[in-house]
Amino acid sequence: MDIIKLKHITKQYDDGFVALKNINLTIESGKFYSLLGPSGSGKSTILRIIAGFSQPSSGQVFFDGKDITDLDAAKRHINTVFQNYALFPHLNVFENVAFGLKIKKQPMDKIKPAVKEALHMVRLDGYANREISELSGGQQQRVAIARAIVNEPKVLLLDESLSALDKRLRKDMQFELRAIQKKLGITFIFVTHDQEEALSMSDEIFVLNDGMIQQSGSPVAIYDEPVNDFVARFIGDSNILSGRMIKDYEVEFANNKFKCADGGIKPNEKVEVVIRPEDLDIVAPEKGNIVVTAQTQLFLGDHFEIKAVDANENEWLIHSTNGVKLGERVGLFFDPEDIHVMRLNESQEDFDARIEKYEGDENEN
Amino acid sequence: MFLKKKHVAPKATYREVWSKGDIATKLSFFIMGSNALANKQWVKGLALLISEIVFIVWFIFSGISTLGILATLGPIKSKKVVYDAAQGVYITKQPSNSVLILLFGVLAIILCIAMIYLYIVNLRSTRHNYILKRDGEHIPTNVQELKSLLDTRLHATLMVIPLLGILFFTVLPTVFMISMAFTNYDRQHPIAFSWTGFQAFGNVLSGDLAGTFFPVLGWTLIWAVAATATTFFFGVLLAMLIESKGIKYKAFWRTVFVIIWAVPQFVSLLMMAQFLDYQGALNNILMNLHWISSPIHFIDNQASPLVARITVILVNMWIGIPVSMLVSTAIIQNLPEDQIEAAKIDGANAVQIFRSITFPQILFVMAPSLIQQFIGNINNFNVIFLLTGGAPMNSKYNGAGSTDLLVTWLYNLTFGQEQRYNASAVLGILIFIISAVVSLIAYRHTNAYKEG
Ligand SMILES: Nc1ncnc2c1ncn2[C@@H]1O[C@H](COP(=O)(O)OP(=O)(O)O)[C@@H](O)[C@H]1O
Ligand SMILES: [Mg+2]
Repeated sequence: MDIIKLKHITKQYDDGFVALKNINLTIESGKFYSLLGPSGSGKSTILRIIAGFSQPSSGQVFFDGKDITDLDAAKRHINTVFQNYALFPHLNVFENVAFGLKIKKQPMDKIKPAVKEALHMVRLDGYANREISELSGGQQQRVAIARAIVNEPKVLLLDESLSALDKRLRKDMQFELRAIQKKLGITFIFVTHDQEEALSMSDEIFVLNDGMIQQSGSPVAIYDEPVNDFVARFIGDSNILSGRMIKDYEVEFANNKFKCADGGIKPNEKVEVVIRPEDLDIVAPEKGNIVVTAQTQLFLGDHFEIKAVDANENEWLIHSTNGVKLGERVGLFFDPEDIHVMRLNESQEDFDARIEKYEGDENEN
Repeated sequence: MFLKKKHVAPKATYREVWSKGDIATKLSFFIMGSNALANKQWVKGLALLISEIVFIVWFIFSGISTLGILATLGPIKSKKVVYDAAQGVYITKQPSNSVLILLFGVLAIILCIAMIYLYIVNLRSTRHNYILKRDGEHIPTNVQELKSLLDTRLHATLMVIPLLGILFFTVLPTVFMISMAFTNYDRQHPIAFSWTGFQAFGNVLSGDLAGTFFPVLGWTLIWAVAATATTFFFGVLLAMLIESKGIKYKAFWRTVFVIIWAVPQFVSLLMMAQFLDYQGALNNILMNLHWISSPIHFIDNQASPLVARITVILVNMWIGIPVSMLVSTAIIQNLPEDQIEAAKIDGANAVQIFRSITFPQILFVMAPSLIQQFIGNINNFNVIFLLTGGAPMNSKYNGAGSTDLLVTWLYNLTFGQEQRYNASAVLGILIFIISAVVSLIAYRHTNAYKEG
């Protein structure tokens, strides 16, 4: 069921800067969404428009089918967890969490169990009387979440909520956030600039750049089939090579012709080819699709990151469980499915339409 | 590897130094510096020795009598004519100058304390040298000792001048003033006075000044609370107003208020006194507007105490609000916007946000400076003295008017017709005690508040 819909949202700030350009997105109830994009891409702006802190210059926001574009932030069933937690330092944990309920003039015998329940949800039982300054960063983060969920929102917005935490704590909190979301069964919209975080937590991701949604879809779809080189580069390391389409299911790059899984593109059209580093297998030179010379190698704990160049001076990034000898000539092997062809400047709509079309063709044949 | 700790010579008791030390060491207990001289620390030894000689000479020829006379503050209490049998004539004896006697007496005591300190220094250095010698270590030479004053013990050398300054310009006057509270130094005893113990305290707390002291103390406290609270509260409100979204030309408004603040206080206070005068501008304006039919006595001698007190607090707001506005502006600008947004999501309106988010946090940050302001207001001489001069006079008070604070009353007691110097000294001590107690309690309270 759709819960939030943004229609043709644009946002121009007072100084004339256009932060959002024609944003359309649909959020379904009960899922975990991520808004992913580099700093300044407009993620917070979208979030603030959904929360009601900021008005779009044009376009509409729908909640449960009703237009809430002009509705006051307090009246939306949406709550926000701020990046710096925004806890009230002069109040203790209980008072922070209870703040909203007190403002709503709830009786104390309702507030107490509600706060207790919320603190239990974020695993902070017994912390009610602590001062905020006595808590660690991760605990403050949880209090901020408890403060938001105690109001029983239908949608929870989290703006870069984990970026202030150190790496380990961040991993723990990722699991925990996901668990809380599952338990509550409400919609989370999570803003982050960290692609790994987005990929590991989300049901669905919106990739943003320059105030435009570049691509949306499941983490796997976005990882495996980026629509353009921005998404390909932003979502993890990849090898991006310019090439030329020969015909359907055949593409030329690095001075070689390869079978591929993409079609629906005009013959001879210039394209870009993406191959993920972990899809490259190191084999003997004669068995490889291409021959490269390894130049540098880093051991990253669970794999080696190898940089190599081919005869045409193209750089190749390879993730391999086994190391290689530097300076050695090795073959790289990849399947046709590992090759992902992108047209230049293709939008997601065109991409979806094309895939629809040629997969349709395929089914007819 | 751990470096072995540097060997520390075991301590020696002074008893050991005395019983086992050589002649020079033993002599040091009586003649300062003899041990240093024996160890060729010429400068230190000579300095100590000369100090002792000078001190003893001074003590015999002047110190004993100065200290002795301190006990009575001078033998002759009033001008009298006595018969001098030796010359066979009557001569007039002027009363002793107790102020000078007291001053020199205090100075003499300080000198004695300094001498005792030097004696301790002398013993310490003797023991130090004794230990070094006993353990067969090198005793610093004259040059080394001098060098260390500019090197490892530079801080001590540098502190000498400030310490002397504090001694003569802070300790001496303070002790002198405190001593005066225990005398009968007043108009009846302007030149020669005597020790009277706690009599002056008795006068202030339960004697003829008590009828003035307690009402004035009450008003002082009311004034300090009201002046601090009003300037703080309205300063914060003004800052919030200027910082709020709807206001344009924020910098302009801020500057306007800063200008009020930048005018020297005594100028604006005297101007205000003129403005509020019986024949002043305000009364004229109000009359021309036909709001009042006859001029109001705001702050002159015919004013009603209540009107005068309210006027003083209002004028003080006018002077104090800009400062507190500037300070709270800085705090408001640093309050995270998202806290306010978080409160808004929870449905808090502007008043609730101010009451439960903004104001408590400003108060939290400003608590220490508020305590300071409170103490400052207890002692706010300028506003009262320049604006009302204590007026209206109060016939029930002794030397004070209805708007007089303890400090301005103290001033009247000293420089007015009363000339009750001892009572002023008592007041000074009491004001100090009140301020100290209030700030201690308040600071402890804010600390407790911070630590939860
Ligand atoms: N109040 C504002 N006035 C003008 N420009 C703004 C304002 N807020 C944000 N921007 C600009 O809009 C762009 C997007 O901002 P934001 O949504 O905060 O990005 P993100 O959260 O993705 O880092 C940035 O370039 C930022 O500089
Ligand atoms: Mg942001």
